[in-house]
Amino acid sequence: MVTGGLLEKLLKAGDFAGISPGWREGEAVATGFAPLDQLLPAGGVRRGSLVEWLAGAEASGAAALAAAVACRLAGHAERAAEAAATIIVVDRTGRFHPPAMLSWLERAGAGGRLAPRLVVARPAHEADELWAIDQALRCRGVAAVLAWPRSIHSTAMRRWQLAARASLAVGLFVRPLAARREPSWAEARVAVTARPGGSLAVRRLRLALAGGPWSGEAHLQERSVELGLDLARGCEAMLPPGAAAPSVHEQERIACRAS
Amino acid sequence: MPRIMTIWLPRWPVQRRLGERPELRSVPVFVCRRERRGVMTIVAWAWALPPRARSTRGDGRSSAPRIPPGMSLAEGMAVLALAHGSRACHMAEVDSDDPAADRAALERLARQCRRFAPIVALEDAERPECIHLDVTGTAGFFGGEESLVRTAAWTLAAHGVHARVAIADTPGAAWAAAHHAERLGRQPAPPFRRPRRFVVVSPGEQATALAALPAAALRIEADVLAALGEVGIDSIGGALKLSRKSLAARFPPTLARRLSQFMGSRAEPLVPTFGEALPQAAHAYDVPVALREMSEDAIVAVLERLVGQCAAPLAARGEGITALQVRFGQYAGASRQGPCPPVVIDVGLYRPALAVRHVVELIRLRMARVRMPREIEGIAVEVVAAAPALCRQRTLFSGASPGASESAAAEVGMLFDRLGGRLGAKAVFEPQLVRDAQPEHAWVGMPPAGGASRTAASARPLAAPAERRPLWLLPRPVLLDVVAIVPAVADAGRPPVRFRHGGQVHDVATAYGPERIETAWWRGPIVRRDYYVVETHAGERLWIFRRLKDGGWFLHGVFA
Repeated sequence: MVTGGLLEKLLKAGDFAGISPGWREGEAVATGFAPLDQLLPAGGVRRGSLVEWLAGAEASGAAALAAAVACRLAGHAERAAEAAATIIVVDRTGRFHPPAMLSWLERAGAGGRLAPRLVVARPAHEADELWAIDQALRCRGVAAVLAWPRSIHSTAMRRWQLAARASLAVGLFVRPLAARREPSWAEARVAVTARPGGSLAVRRLRLALAGGPWSGEAHLQERSVELGLDLARGCEAMLPPGAAAPSVHEQERIACRAS
Repeated sequence: MPRIMTIWLPRWPVQRRLGERPELRSVPVFVCRRERRGVMTIVAWAWALPPRARSTRGDGRSSAPRIPPGMSLAEGMAVLALAHGSRACHMAEVDSDDPAADRAALERLARQCRRFAPIVALEDAERPECIHLDVTGTAGFFGGEESLVRTAAWTLAAHGVHARVAIADTPGAAWAAAHHAERLGRQPAPPFRRPRRFVVVSPGEQATALAALPAAALRIEADVLAALGEVGIDSIGGALKLSRKSLAARFPPTLARRLSQFMGSRAEPLVPTFGEALPQAAHAYDVPVALREMSEDAIVAVLERLVGQCAAPLAARGEGITALQVRFGQYAGASRQGPCPPVVIDVGLYRPALAVRHVVELIRLRMARVRMPREIEGIAVEVVAAAPALCRQRTLFSGASPGASESAAAEVGMLFDRLGGRLGAKAVFEPQLVRDAQPEHAWVGMPPAGGASRTAASARPLAAPAERRPLWLLPRPVLLDVVAIVPAVADAGRPPVRFRHGGQVHDVATAYGPERIETAWWRGPIVRRDYYVVETHAGERLWIFRRLKDGGWFLHGVFA
């Protein structure tokens, strides 16, 4: 006879003896960027979901924002599971330069905790890239998957969505703004455009929701926010009031000599 | 007449460390043993990627400092400082000697060399650096002995192992030839001058072909060598001319034994003396079968059975598979002349595993990347390396229990295995910071450890503030088409106010910098750059630099 307490525990756990129910609702995790949380439908990034970051231009800062969110998710997963979480970066272009993100991760692991791990996979072909994303999203222990897929077939994306739901990993995909015309299984699509101003350590970004799943519409919703990304720490930064007009050639001399 | 192939791995203790920590390739590495009274004695040293030396010999090759084993560390550092300056000594990595780990790594490598011959043994020495293989009759599989030694040398080179390879009639002759392959090999024309890595001594010709080699190549002790030197004998040819009867009376018995072993008149059997037997299993088909006609399930079934046979004895002693080699015996067919070498698939695991399906899945992923033979005669599976497996009883409830975190870590390890299996081991890595100002060398990719994690305290700090490093770094800097620069301050090296890149004109609104990055001459090509973080009027951020040599502007990174 199953006692009430045990039955309740079973129902609450939803996953026992390694048997995964296959689907369960993931909790929404605050991204650490209050304006972004206000923008996202779930009030944060829901674990086990996909989020698309539509970059207005190559140097718009969308990837940096996605990387900062990935660090936040990994830190949250690490605290929840009391084990180091892993971020998988699938980088087919071979351009990903990890030092900046590594220093953000170190901050996430400060205080004697295990730092979240960053692992980079560099597939040579598009088929391998899609396969690597799929495999990473299926893995429990992976907190977030950051990738730059050029084209995603809706079938593949649906597969990723189901895989992420089962493992509670979050897929963060940085794509060009032109991809907003394509249907998507992502829970949220955030258009990121860079704004001038800010400072060396703070970038100003404008975010707008670019439709939801299967919107198929090219319009950007009216709702948009502006935030500051602290490039030194990978977290939100206060925007300077009024954002004064930037001065050209702000000089600051730093000399580094390699040993 | 038997034929023996010897693979010599010069400075093996250092090579092992370079394999485990690739970032050490750019610094001098000393492996030292602590003697009495605290004196550190050099066991081996190497500098894999030394800088361009100022002084060069007449043949154009740089002159490396001579630091023989046995020299004290202080003396070795002094010699290094003379050749490369005192800065090289500050960069040097000094590691303590670990003969057991060196031998274990050599045994693992020897097991992987079974792809060339079935009988493999380590050199009979206190600190082995050679692997002997009995290649009698197997050279034909590789297109002849010349092809076999070349294949062996370059296969090891592809795994990052520097080796010299030789084939001769006896282990002694092959040992001598491998240690002096540079002298024996045919020297190519000057533009292609490069040390030869392999040599083949024709059957029965070791006495003539190797006569000019120094007597030390007979593997004799220093005192025997000194005794030979006293009578004016300094080569193998001179030692062979001595009367065998007088040898016993005039020299220690070692010399006569080594000369007999060199000539083959005294047997020197190869005894595989691996520390612990690792399981292997094989399946031979009655007749050659065409892979095209076999279903994938049939191959998988055979592989599962073979891997299961290998995993069972390991599980009994609490170990898991960490490296596996699968060999598909290739049937050449009646039309082709000569046998064909087996198709070999090496599978490495980041975490010891006993799950047969997982291992077979990795083999299948590798099979998809390898050109498989049309017809096979059999399949052999051999465990190359094993390690204690982490086994823990499963809990009923997962969630935040320790068992759940362990199983998640195990899943991550299996993910690394799968990614590495399909994308290639070098395509999956864990970046780690290196304190180096040059952006291209600011980090290294390390193989991800299965379940191990690092703490924040173990990480190295970034050479520059994080906000000054872009998320995207171009593989090669791209020359910018500068449209306009500030005329009044052009000479001061200010960034351009307008430039064209990727078909777009960018107007610079703000620039932060310069951040000067200079490398020293001992690191190779000198880099002298002034970096700027520039923000355009549209808010895009780019990382550009001015090359101080000629004032050219380049795009190096994108704040994506």
